[in-house]
Amino acid sequence: MTTRLSDNPTTRLSDHRWGMAIDLDKCTGCQACVVSCHAENNVPIVGEEEAAYGRTAHWLRIERYWEGEYPNVKAKFMPVMCQQCTEAPCEAVCPVYATYHSDEGLNGQIYNRCIGTRFCGSACPYKQRMYNWFDPVFPEPLEQQLNPDVTVRSRGIMEKCTFCVQRIRRVKEDAKAEGREVTDGEIQPACAQSCPTNAIVFGDLNDPESRVSQMARSSRAFRLLENLGTEPGVVYLKGGETRV
Amino acid sequence: MQEKLSRRNFLKLVGGAAAAGTAVAIPVAAKGVGQQFVPYVKPPEEALPGDATWYASTCRMCPAGCGIMVRTIDGRAKKIEGNPAYPLNQGKLCARGQAGVQSLYNPDRLKNAVKQNGRGSRSFEPVYWDAALDEVLAKLDSVDPSKIVFYAGTMPDNLYYLVSEWLTAIGAPAPVIYDLHAALEGRAVSLQAAEEMFGAAQMPVYDIANADVVLSFGANFTETWQSPVAYNKAYGDFRGQAGGRGFFIQCEPRLSATAAVADEWVPIRPGVDGLVALALGRIIIEERLGTAGTLGQIYAGMYRGVDVPTIANAAGLEIEQLHRLARILAEADRPVVIPGGYTAGQTNGYGSYQAIQALNLVLSRLGRRGGVYLSQPAPAETLLTMPAPNSFADVQALIERMNAGQVEMLFVYGANPVFELPQAAGFKEALAKVPFVVSFSSFVDETAVQSDLILPNNTYLENWGYQVASPGADRPAVACQQPVVRPLYDTRSTASVILDLAHAMGGAAAEALPWGSEMLFMEDVASILFGSSLNPYTAQTAGEFWAAFRQHGGWWSDRPLQQEPEPVGLGQRPIIVTAPAFDGSARDYPLTLYPYPSVVMSDGRGANLPWLQETPDPMTTVAWNTWVEINPATAHRLHLKNNDVVKIVSPQGEIEATVVEYPGIRPDVIAIPVGWGHEDYGRYAENRGSNPIDLLAPITDPESGALAWGATRVRIERTNRTHALARLESLHGEGRESLS
Repeated sequence: MTTRLSDNPTTRLSDHRWGMAIDLDKCTGCQACVVSCHAENNVPIVGEEEAAYGRTAHWLRIERYWEGEYPNVKAKFMPVMCQQCTEAPCEAVCPVYATYHSDEGLNGQIYNRCIGTRFCGSACPYKQRMYNWFDPVFPEPLEQQLNPDVTVRSRGIMEKCTFCVQRIRRVKEDAKAEGREVTDGEIQPACAQSCPTNAIVFGDLNDPESRVSQMARSSRAFRLLENLGTEPGVVYLKGGETRV
Repeated sequence: MQEKLSRRNFLKLVGGAAAAGTAVAIPVAAKGVGQQFVPYVKPPEEALPGDATWYASTCRMCPAGCGIMVRTIDGRAKKIEGNPAYPLNQGKLCARGQAGVQSLYNPDRLKNAVKQNGRGSRSFEPVYWDAALDEVLAKLDSVDPSKIVFYAGTMPDNLYYLVSEWLTAIGAPAPVIYDLHAALEGRAVSLQAAEEMFGAAQMPVYDIANADVVLSFGANFTETWQSPVAYNKAYGDFRGQAGGRGFFIQCEPRLSATAAVADEWVPIRPGVDGLVALALGRIIIEERLGTAGTLGQIYAGMYRGVDVPTIANAAGLEIEQLHRLARILAEADRPVVIPGGYTAGQTNGYGSYQAIQALNLVLSRLGRRGGVYLSQPAPAETLLTMPAPNSFADVQALIERMNAGQVEMLFVYGANPVFELPQAAGFKEALAKVPFVVSFSSFVDETAVQSDLILPNNTYLENWGYQVASPGADRPAVACQQPVVRPLYDTRSTASVILDLAHAMGGAAAEALPWGSEMLFMEDVASILFGSSLNPYTAQTAGEFWAAFRQHGGWWSDRPLQQEPEPVGLGQRPIIVTAPAFDGSARDYPLTLYPYPSVVMSDGRGANLPWLQETPDPMTTVAWNTWVEINPATAHRLHLKNNDVVKIVSPQGEIEATVVEYPGIRPDVIAIPVGWGHEDYGRYAENRGSNPIDLLAPITDPESGALAWGATRVRIERTNRTHALARLESLHGEGRESLS
């Protein structure tokens, strides 16, 4: 059973409830979103050894699930990023309130408040919070690629997908300066913008006409680990099947 | 470029300004300080500090040539997005395209022209550009022009034009164009077959978006094949069609990432693609399946002598499976059949390619919605675009000439033959016999290490250029490439180097290339397009058009315009597909090697970019190293498990790789991604993994001359060592991907 997000008091505070819909029928696992996210959000590189320990910092990863055995074997892709839960397990456990809930439904992370207890990482059922085991390294002149809109995180703090909050803010400010409302599709997180198959769609779940709301109403829609009651802001559309 | 203003000089300046009163704005208080000071107070006119400026340009991370928009802030490129207006990629961009800024800001870039103190020494001395060019000119003057060779990867069209005009003018042979990416995607075979079958050497475009059944033979179009962003976009549309989500069948021995999104994967044996296509054609016509079966009777001659049971046996399929596939195709409204790179990379590749394309003819799919079109170059055909790459046989002929001392001077641009060609082809040894080798590589790669002089090209984000989309979009399109930042270092675009050389040589060379700079050449190109009736934007004058051309990121038709292939070389003549041949005996080498382009590394050119190294492979979730995919049953039989390091031995050589048990591969085939195994090419690429191309036998398809890169047999030997691959997924059902 899906709770209507508009019924939830935490999401009613604002006009917006940012959400994402991912059509798994279109995802080809091409990794464009993964690299795009690295570029937009100054996500560090950890190298082979650290990566083998599972310490890569990808804010977005493509999970691949095998089904069946040769020759009747299938592989399914699923891009997973922070699910921006309405009832976020990561928020309650932070002893220093570095993890907070915005009135637009985002789970925020205040980097300079974080003391690195990693409680939030343990609490997250989606394993979507990344810990900086070391200071990020950008050998000169790679630091020139850094996006000035996004803080570079230092050693000892947690980070995760923000739904590209810097892009949300920019569009909102531009719209406000022009005295108009933000239109549907105007805000595009880096992953959605690059996605070659248009599998990833971003928008306002409080606007029933937005594309993301329409997709969320699809009969194929589901949320990840729905039974935990986290009420994610990311909606997946089950991959289809054609029978011949 | 960015010189530091010291505190001392800053104070002198400020003090000077105060002393001089109000009349003088910038006093020259210290010698030379004025030149440093001015850039700080006068930013480029279009740049506002902290505000982003977007430049439209063209991606050069692969030959597809997608339109890009680059976000620059304070003169630095920050983020590359797809150009929403460009009809090929429509605002989208792939992983490799996104990583382009890391080639610009790569810490291992060459910062100036260098001379090597003895080939292979890796000891480089900086040289002034003028001195370097003088040396090249002196050599050009002293050698027989017919002994000059320009070896290039798939080049931007502008550079191809300038290089080929220059070579013709000085009496040198045409450039040899060959790179591994093009070989793995079967570019040369696609063009050669299109010329023979459709009467025009244009890349076929498969309208996946509007098809209802797609049958692909190893075309990994969602990964690296030909124009992956455009085909990914088309795939998304294919799944989102109003009439249903379509049916997609992928035939290849390995479940690639493309096969993973197919509705059905048919694991056929290596090299039987064309035979399966012939069997399908015969079944459709013989059994008069669907409309195609009735209308296709006139093509019965193509299938004379096709033996369906034998083919089923050779392919490892049941006859019933072939029947089923034939029925699906014949009963579809808008089916399309695609021959892939792996088809072309077999000893029977060309025949197979024809047999697969013939299915499109039988099914009446040429020039139809959801079928096959040809790339439409008009009116860009007045521009000289790059022709088909050379075949591997041409490269072998070049190696022979090099060995025979018939090559005195070799230029290498945009290709890394020492890494990319099978070692058994002997390029490296032949290169040692060339007296003077000049590389245009921006990085010290394996081929640059074997050269005398490196004249580093700018990266594509600092260069001018144009690229006619090939394979094309649904309309003619020419992407405009322009510098989005000032060159970081003292590097020069190869196009301008060619112009400088031509002008210095004078005579015919200078006459052939009359442009004072590459920008003037680009303006000339734009003026050709200005005359078109299809212009997407209004411009009154050529100058206005030139500005619009750069601003929009190119020129394209304002309406769809597609070229219909004419089946000139197909129809009655029986199609001959020979049985595939493999190097190595089945007894000593029981497994067939499938080297495939990695979705992030491509043919290895992405290996120096840290973002790409850290991006996990979509199927195995491995990053940073080479693995070998083995069917779990085969692994069990050989007592191998995940993370075991094994030796893979072919008749030509051996490499080591780490085992990944891979459920989606035939038990008699192993697959290794291409891209790792660099000896040089910067800190992120060097000494990690191994290169499966080293294992390949230099055998070709006699008809096309293409390298049969899928036709080498191997065996696996244990090493009793293990290596923990950096995998996103854990092997024990725990860790990051475990969600329960």
